[in-house]
Amino acid sequence: MSSSTKRHSMMPRAGQLPKAPVNISSSVVIHDNAVLTGNHTINISSETVIHPRNKLDSSHGRITIGRRCIIHERVVIGAPSSDPTKGEFGVTLEDYVTVEVAAIIESGCTTIGEGCQIGVGVRIGRGAKLGKHCTITARSVIQPGEQLPDYTVLYSNGTRRTDKRGVTDLKNKAQARQIDVMRRLITTNINRFKE
Amino acid sequence: MSSRKQVKGEYIETDTGNKVSRKANLIGTQHIMLGGKTVIMADAMVRGDLTRTVSAQGSSGGAAPQSNTSIFIGRYCFLSRGCCLRPPGRIYKGAFTYMPLRIGDHVFVGENSVVQAATIGSHVHIAANAVVGEFAIVKDYVRILEGTVVPANMVIPSFSVVAGQPGRVIGEVPEGGHEQFEMRDLYKTVGNNIPPPAPAAAAA
Amino acid sequence: MASFTPYTVPAPTTCPAKRANLTARPPPTSQGLPEDDEDHAFDPRSPRSNYSLYPLEYLLYCVDCHQIRCPRCVSEELVTIYCPSCLFEVGSSSVKTEGNRCTRSCFQCPVCVGPLAVQSLESAPEASLLSADNAASSGPTGPWALTCSYCTWSSSEVGVKFDKPQGIFAQLSKIRNGSNTGPDVSLTAGDTSPTKREANLAEPESTRARFSALRAFYQSQLASSSTGSSMAGGMGDYGFSSPAALTRIMSIYSGSSSKPKNKATVMREADIPNEGFRPINLDESQAILKLRAGGYDETVTMAQAASQTEEGAHFADDLWPVASLLRTKRAKRCPACRHILSKPEAKVSNTRWRIRLVAGNHIPSVTIKPLPTPGVPPPNVLAPLKPIQYLLTFKNPMFDSIKVTLATPAKTPGRFASKVTVLCPQFTVGANSDDYDLNEVLKAEDRDQRDRRRDDDGSHQVEAGKVFERGRNWVSIVVEVIPATLQIQPTPSLLQKADEPDADPAPLREDEDILEIPMFVRLEWESEPSQDQVGVAPSGREKDAKEKRELAYWSVLGIGRISQD
Repeated sequence: MSSSTKRHSMMPRAGQLPKAPVNISSSVVIHDNAVLTGNHTINISSETVIHPRNKLDSSHGRITIGRRCIIHERVVIGAPSSDPTKGEFGVTLEDYVTVEVAAIIESGCTTIGEGCQIGVGVRIGRGAKLGKHCTITARSVIQPGEQLPDYTVLYSNGTRRTDKRGVTDLKNKAQARQIDVMRRLITTNINRFKE
Repeated sequence: MSSRKQVKGEYIETDTGNKVSRKANLIGTQHIMLGGKTVIMADAMVRGDLTRTVSAQGSSGGAAPQSNTSIFIGRYCFLSRGCCLRPPGRIYKGAFTYMPLRIGDHVFVGENSVVQAATIGSHVHIAANAVVGEFAIVKDYVRILEGTVVPANMVIPSFSVVAGQPGRVIGEVPEGGHEQFEMRDLYKTVGNNIPPPAPAAAAA
Repeated sequence: MASFTPYTVPAPTTCPAKRANLTARPPPTSQGLPEDDEDHAFDPRSPRSNYSLYPLEYLLYCVDCHQIRCPRCVSEELVTIYCPSCLFEVGSSSVKTEGNRCTRSCFQCPVCVGPLAVQSLESAPEASLLSADNAASSGPTGPWALTCSYCTWSSSEVGVKFDKPQGIFAQLSKIRNGSNTGPDVSLTAGDTSPTKREANLAEPESTRARFSALRAFYQSQLASSSTGSSMAGGMGDYGFSSPAALTRIMSIYSGSSSKPKNKATVMREADIPNEGFRPINLDESQAILKLRAGGYDETVTMAQAASQTEEGAHFADDLWPVASLLRTKRAKRCPACRHILSKPEAKVSNTRWRIRLVAGNHIPSVTIKPLPTPGVPPPNVLAPLKPIQYLLTFKNPMFDSIKVTLATPAKTPGRFASKVTVLCPQFTVGANSDDYDLNEVLKAEDRDQRDRRRDDDGSHQVEAGKVFERGRNWVSIVVEVIPATLQIQPTPSLLQKADEPDADPAPLREDEDILEIPMFVRLEWESEPSQDQVGVAPSGREKDAKEKRELAYWSVLGIGRISQD
């Protein structure tokens, strides 16, 4: 049955893009199919998991990713924005951030606060600042420069409310457990990404 | 059906009639089960590697201890460009685990849609840019319109039309609309040796 | 401008039931079009058209009446009632007693309508502390709350927590109505034993309890008054608000001519709290203070308030979880002969249909697309006053060949009249082949291909009165359209005729630039007499006569948008 899938990945060679200067903790998990490119530094702190087919592009500014973040597949971090001016500082993800499938985070002083949940296919504009523990539901769009206070929930295409569950500890614990599992499932070779 | 694959061609055609693009992104292929006659287009992504890590213990669990399939796909399914199938994950008995994603027959997944459901029934049409949240259960003959965000854990009963953010049932599939879920004709249009469509063929 | 695709199955068909006078008629339009207008062209822009146009998939076909039936004219019957969330079947008796919502643990978020899940408010025990064996026994512990996975609303926001994760509906109604009222919560108790629940004189709190109190009160009033006046009360005895007024009116209509008695029984209105009476609270200072403190975010939207099961939600902390509404599986009957047109299997999980007589098996499907001209891509918008040709393809689903006659008005109705010419208004479409022998089908398809190739060689021309292309069970014809210009030019007063109204100079209305063509389709075919009719008249079989059938209906073709410059 599964003979159909007996083949090797046909990924384009990551080497075609310029390898970014990186600063990766040894406990980080990065799938081989992820792409780290650009000419600014990419910092990834401990126990963060990066899924396949991700693109971290630091050509428009430095990328900093905190501890225990989960970046799901096909996410683009440091995407070029319509504003072409380049800055030193690209994207910062604080600790415990989850970015789900196919989200796009534009480069240019964009900050994602601690414990934020970025939903599937979300686009976060250049220079947006998300407070702590924000939840952005799938397919939402955050305009460039938009600011969200802590515990904001953005849902139904732009409606806002405040998260009053008070379960941040619970959420962080769950995230840690999820990372434990992913470490087992995702093969990684960090040295590939280092110089 | 032309049985064995051609040397060069966009698709790998298997004995069971699956047509898998060489540019498709299948990860953890040993954990993906294809029922046959399924089309996987270029850039479609299937995360077979996210397998179940907590085995189901107890009375019901012992059914298939060896198989660790994370994605089951039935017959005549169609995964469009840029779509993504991944198993849903949650905390189960104190530990995080992924659970299998089961997809029935005649299921269409549109471009750039992301499916993390627990179960998708048969004859389901998921239009482009839709998101089916974790552990959603979609029954048979369901149409999910473009851009819909089906929230996690939602159950969609048969013969529903779903739209919106968050997704809600906005209508019923009419009695005469069942045949539109049929995927055999679409299956025939994809492959390595498909003649170009006739200039004015009568589309059904 | 967004691109416009011609309607893929542009056979939204007018329901013949409208003419057959089987459905309630919508109010006449502003144009005052006469209703029985067999001679008038169908106007797709008429506000009434919305009610009679349906895509082909929505239409059913009665094999006894040989008529198309639309969703508006069929009568429906409940087959199964079930909860769309837990998919449990609910008996019709329990729907009557417990209402039309799920009484298990299915709830919708009051903020965003997403599904609510029961979640523990305490953190689950550490996985590392549990061995695999006892993991099952020690799950997370309470208290529990309903939370929305989409917008993160939690029932703890309105102070609702549960002791156990099962039977949420019962727990919730207990919390809402207070534990002392107990059985009053369900409608059953309120309905059947109104006297028992009056035991405590406390004011009924919930809307439901208040309703049953009011109901009990008026029932007792009605009973005492009707014993006095023996059903049909005298004229002018009661006010209009009194329930007896309804009884009186009903008895007038039912024609029971009991003698009016002039015995004046005065019926009292409810006026104390335990009869369900509650004065409205006009002191809004609390609400104003709350509004000042919380602002807009603390208020509810109209949609949120409307989705609540109890009225009066103004602030976010008035929002309660909404139990999910039950859904039904329904059978449909022909309005004329009561024949069943569609009937699903009763079980919720079964998606098969016992009977499904869809119109798609009896009338040809119509597809439309621009006539391909080599080298010229089909335009996105229609250029005004420039002829453009479209290919209409009729595909016959029946096993008899049909003769199709088409008619369109020469000019489309509405302010901007486009010219329409059907080049071949009369043609025959071959029968759909019954046998599914693959070789036959392939051969036929081969023949199609050959035909096409031969056509391509030369004779593929757009010619009046000739079919453009033809296959085993399909025919393509050409329709030529000259789109109107959207500029409004007032007719010069010299040329203006007295009986012609002035052109309406109003600006372009919404979707007025869409070119839609009403088309009258008439089908004629000969078929075997249906089985039950043979049984009735056995002489029919001897003659072996084929029955002549005819079906006619309006349909609308959506062509595209006309360019506005």
